[in-house]
Order: sequence, then structure tokens, then C-alpha cells
Amino acid sequence: MRNAVAGVALLVMAAFLFYAAVEMHSFGSPAYSDMDDYFIENAQKETGANNVVTSIVFDYRGFDTLGEATVLFTAVAGTTAVFKKRREKK
Amino acid sequence: MMAMSKIVRTVSNLLYFFILIFGFYIVMHGHLTPGGGFQGGAVLASAIALIIVAHGIEKAKKFYSEFSLTSCESLGLVLFISLAFLGIFMTFFYNFLSPGAQPAIPIFSTEPPLGPNLGNLNTGGVIPLMNIAVGIEVIGGLGAIVYVMFRGGKK
Amino acid sequence: MNVDYVGIMHVVVLLIVLVSAYLAIKLKNLLSAVLALAVMSLLLSLEFYLLHAPDVAIAEAGIGAGLTTAIYVLAIRATRHLEGGA
Repeated sequence: MRNAVAGVALLVMAAFLFYAAVEMHSFGSPAYSDMDDYFIENAQKETGANNVVTSIVFDYRGFDTLGEATVLFTAVAGTTAVFKKRREKK
Repeated sequence: MMAMSKIVRTVSNLLYFFILIFGFYIVMHGHLTPGGGFQGGAVLASAIALIIVAHGIEKAKKFYSEFSLTSCESLGLVLFISLAFLGIFMTFFYNFLSPGAQPAIPIFSTEPPLGPNLGNLNTGGVIPLMNIAVGIEVIGGLGAIVYVMFRGGKK
Repeated sequence: MNVDYVGIMHVVVLLIVLVSAYLAIKLKNLLSAVLALAVMSLLLSLEFYLLHAPDVAIAEAGIGAGLTTAIYVLAIRATRHLEGGA
């Protein structure tokens, strides 16, 4: 029974993956590219940075970077809390 | 944990400065070439991990401490958020140093010519400062994780 | 006849990525598995570079192949070296 369910799930997932691979856009031509064209046209003029990726990461999508920094801060806080030296040992 | 052999220590002493310079290059040129604060901070933290692994924790304690690394991380995050708040008169995360910003502040704000120019560091508005802030945060955070895990494991 | 060298490179790199990922799952010695994972990360960063994403490649090479390997080795050092508690 479990093997049958797992086989059906595998078949469905393989079918979806093959469908996605067949329907994939060719490299460098996404389906919707209005926002990309806007960034490529205007990013260098608006932010003054030559690297469009960095200008998106730090300027247009700044909240994403703030969340990433918060995630890293939380990870470091958790790790240092786990490995904290015991003070009450004596 | 004990230090590794003399060959490993010598090679890591040589490579340490090159990795540091490459990391600072990635952070400082984040608005011109591929990379940025996060990538450069990861490279710098791997330099710290190299020194800690090669020399052992006893010698690395002279150069780094948990307090310095975690305070580096907090300082970077505070710098980043305060840079974001400095543009609050327009919006949060407003690029108040960019070429078109209205109270014109002449720092990091020359308008670059279109196309690649690899040397002009005086561009980018607030982006280089944010790169430096995120670089400080990431070097402190990842270095603190490696340092604390190295200290906490049993022998 | 022009040969698509970049396409051949993609296929070779992705095949070695698959092989090293399978080794990382199947190897019983945990240190060997971690080294296979590091090889996979390094080749994945090469693949990102071939796909014209050099910043992702730098992050992957620094974190995936450098720091993650160090952290896994540190974690394994404090526990047993073989899978299944042998």
C-alpha cells in the first residue's frame, strides 16, 4: 500500500517536472520582462551605481536585504546562545 | 584543539592577507563589479575561519574574541538600519545621496556614464555605505559562528 | 562546424555535481560525505559562473565550499565519525 502511494506520488511529480522542463523558456528570455527592462534602462541613472544587481539589492529591494540581515543576526544569536560558556559551573 | 602542522600554518599565514585584500576589494567595489557586502563578508569570514582552523583556538584568542565579533555584527546592523532611516524624509530606504536626490550632498554622488566603468568609486549614492555596513555585519556574524563552534566542541 | 563548448561544459559540470551529491548521500564516513558536499558546492559555483551570475558564484564558493565545510567538520569532530553510531 505504501509503495503504491509512493509510486503514484513519484509519477505525478515526475510528470510535473517533465512538463516544466518541456515548457521552460529558453535561457535569457523570461516571460514577463517589464520590470527587468525598467531596471536595465534606469538603474544606472537613478541610483548612480554601475552594478545593477547591487542597486536592486540595496536600493529598490532594500527591505529584502534588511530581512536577510535580520535572519543572519538571529542565527548568530541562537548559535552563541547554544554554545555559551557556563558561568555557574564552580 | 591543537594547531595544525607547520606547512599548513605557513601557507595559511601567506594566504590570509591575500584573502583579506580580495574580500575588502569585493566589499569596496560592490557597486561597480559583481559582489557586494554579503559576498565580501563571506570571503572575509572564511579568512577568519582559515586562521582559527590552522592555528588552533588558543592562538586565535589573541586576535579575535567573541565579544569583538558579535559587536562587529551588531554595529553593522545598526549602521545599516540607521542608513536606511536617514532617508526617512522621503521614504524608508531612500537613496538620499544619489545623483538626482534633491538636497544635493556631494559625496558618492557623481553620475556615472552609461556602460561599464570599473574605476569610478565616487558613485552609487548610499549603496557603498550600505555595502560596508553589511560587510561588517556578515564578517562579524559568520566569524562568530565559526569561532563559537570551534571553542565549544570537545577535544 | 562550430562546437558549443559552453554547452559541453554545462553537461560535464552538472554530471559531476550529480555524482558528488549521490556520494554525499551514500558515503558512510561522515568526513568523506562532507568533502563530497564541498566538491558539489564548488562545482555549483562554477555552474553559476557559467550561467552569468558571478555574484551568486562568489557567495556560493565562500559560504558553501568554505564556511559550511568548516562548520560541518567542527560538528562532526564533537560526535562520531561514522553514520549510524558505529
